[in-house]
Amino acid sequence: MIYVSLIVVLLLASRAEAGPLDAPGYGKAFTCSACHGFAGNSRAATVPILAGMPAAYLKKALQDYASGKRPSTEMEPYAKMAVHLGVDDVATYFAGQKREPATATALDGAAVARGKTAAAACAGCHGPDGRGDAAKGVPDLRGQPQGYLGNQMLLFKSGRRSPGDKALEEMKTLMKAIPEATLADLAAYFASRQ
Amino acid sequence: MQGDIAPRSGRRVVVIGGGWGGATAAKYVRLHDPSIEVVLIEPNRRFVSCPFSNLVLSGVRTIDSLTFDYGRLRRHGMRVLHETATGVEPSARRVRVGGGYLAYDRLIVAPGVEFQWEQVEGLAAAQERVLHAWKAGPQTVQLARQLQSMDDGGVFVLTVPPAAYRCPPGPYERVCQVAWYLRNAKPRSKVIVLDANQNIVSKAGLFRAAWQAYPNIEYRASNKVVKVDAGAREVTTDFGDRVKYDVVNLIPPQRAGSVAVHADLVGADQRWCEVDHVTYESVKHRGIHVIGDATIGLPVPKSGNVANAMGKICASAVVHLLNGKEPPAMAPGNTCYSWVNDREAIAVVNVYKIDTGKVVQIEQKLTPAPSAAVAQNSLGWAQSIWSDILG
Repeated sequence: MIYVSLIVVLLLASRAEAGPLDAPGYGKAFTCSACHGFAGNSRAATVPILAGMPAAYLKKALQDYASGKRPSTEMEPYAKMAVHLGVDDVATYFAGQKREPATATALDGAAVARGKTAAAACAGCHGPDGRGDAAKGVPDLRGQPQGYLGNQMLLFKSGRRSPGDKALEEMKTLMKAIPEATLADLAAYFASRQ
Repeated sequence: MQGDIAPRSGRRVVVIGGGWGGATAAKYVRLHDPSIEVVLIEPNRRFVSCPFSNLVLSGVRTIDSLTFDYGRLRRHGMRVLHETATGVEPSARRVRVGGGYLAYDRLIVAPGVEFQWEQVEGLAAAQERVLHAWKAGPQTVQLARQLQSMDDGGVFVLTVPPAAYRCPPGPYERVCQVAWYLRNAKPRSKVIVLDANQNIVSKAGLFRAAWQAYPNIEYRASNKVVKVDAGAREVTTDFGDRVKYDVVNLIPPQRAGSVAVHADLVGADQRWCEVDHVTYESVKHRGIHVIGDATIGLPVPKSGNVANAMGKICASAVVHLLNGKEPPAMAPGNTCYSWVNDREAIAVVNVYKIDTGKVVQIEQKLTPAPSAAVAQNSLGWAQSIWSDILG
């Protein structure tokens, strides 16, 4: 029994040594943790979780921020830094990190239930529970902070999220058709998924 | 002298200072290599965030909402000693603590800033009444009380020290918060800003625009305060102008924290520490690294975000060096928010690269105008970075 415990301890120790700081790309992605949390697991209401997101999605997001196609004062310089260092390395680093869902924040149960019904409109691209499609670069919405999801949907609705980006026309049209209150319900629903 | 106050079991990194840089460095050394022993020396039992502390003056935030303990850091397997490091012996590779010492293989010094009291006549003797509130904590709360107790019609004088000092936009954010509070609570009062610098040091255009909403601000550039008379409630500038106050917030000129001076880590200016831009090793003493506000020579502001980034970079360098490997070239970034009222903020972002061994700025970007969305982003930044430092 002692030996078994020792082996377990050693296994855990060796796993700990091969942590997020040893992954290739850490040295290019470490500045992101100031806002996006350790290994991209944001714990902030309005800052997205990057851990485990599709690399293709992250790469497009960084390129769009860097070029100003997706406007953000905070993200534009950091995205330029990522492009300078190697956007594929940064995207692959976060895609390879284990998603650690945030500890349950107080989500309104009724809003989550309403959001679940409304989410049928999203399933065509994001899948039945919002898991996305890594191969197509469609983001996983599950467990993302409610504030972030809500803000992005409002940006799409108002035309301020990636203006002129033809690849997102369908998304913009959909968001414009959905009332603001329902967008808040959708944010609550996808935030509640794990 | 007594012996090693905590005999070491293997390779050891000692970190002096548990602020934004030091606490981050201590944590990240352990995350990189759990076989390295880490001892963090920090006199304060609680960490109080300087970012957001200006909002305590206006009553928008409480000091408790910015106060954290070091309990979660200990879970990374480091020792946190609430002691004061009184000296460093670089040749013996040990830090003096009380009557004993702590031996180290590599030392990280994150001493923050110390005030140059002697630069302002009368200040040293008046420290209990003339507050700086430039290290968040008891003085922040005391200054808020002085502001609240001031009569309507009273004059609040804020003095800005000559650059370089901790948090370049901090004094101007504070002016916004005090002016916002006075506009609502004491409409006949005003804020007089005596700035030792020729212009607003950071985000100048954005602050000037924000101040349009505050006719109660009187800004005077190139007005360096050289004397304070707490009895007469008066400060004197280097031109000999005397300015009366009801409440004064005198932010003194600054240098690196005292342990850096005693350890001979400061340069010829006797103020700041020059370091290697990749490893943060002192140019004066091998085996000793300096991070955060105490450093000079990098094109970065003295900010909490930069200190946090330096903590991570330095931790990586120290672990590589202890393991006989080449340290990676990693550059910092900086996101800096300033609240201009109770719900809107502005921001500046700076990113950098390493070019032939030196930190070089790639880009700086400012928000176009104050906005509630930027303020919300700042809350997310704070939540994440506090967790990155102490979690």
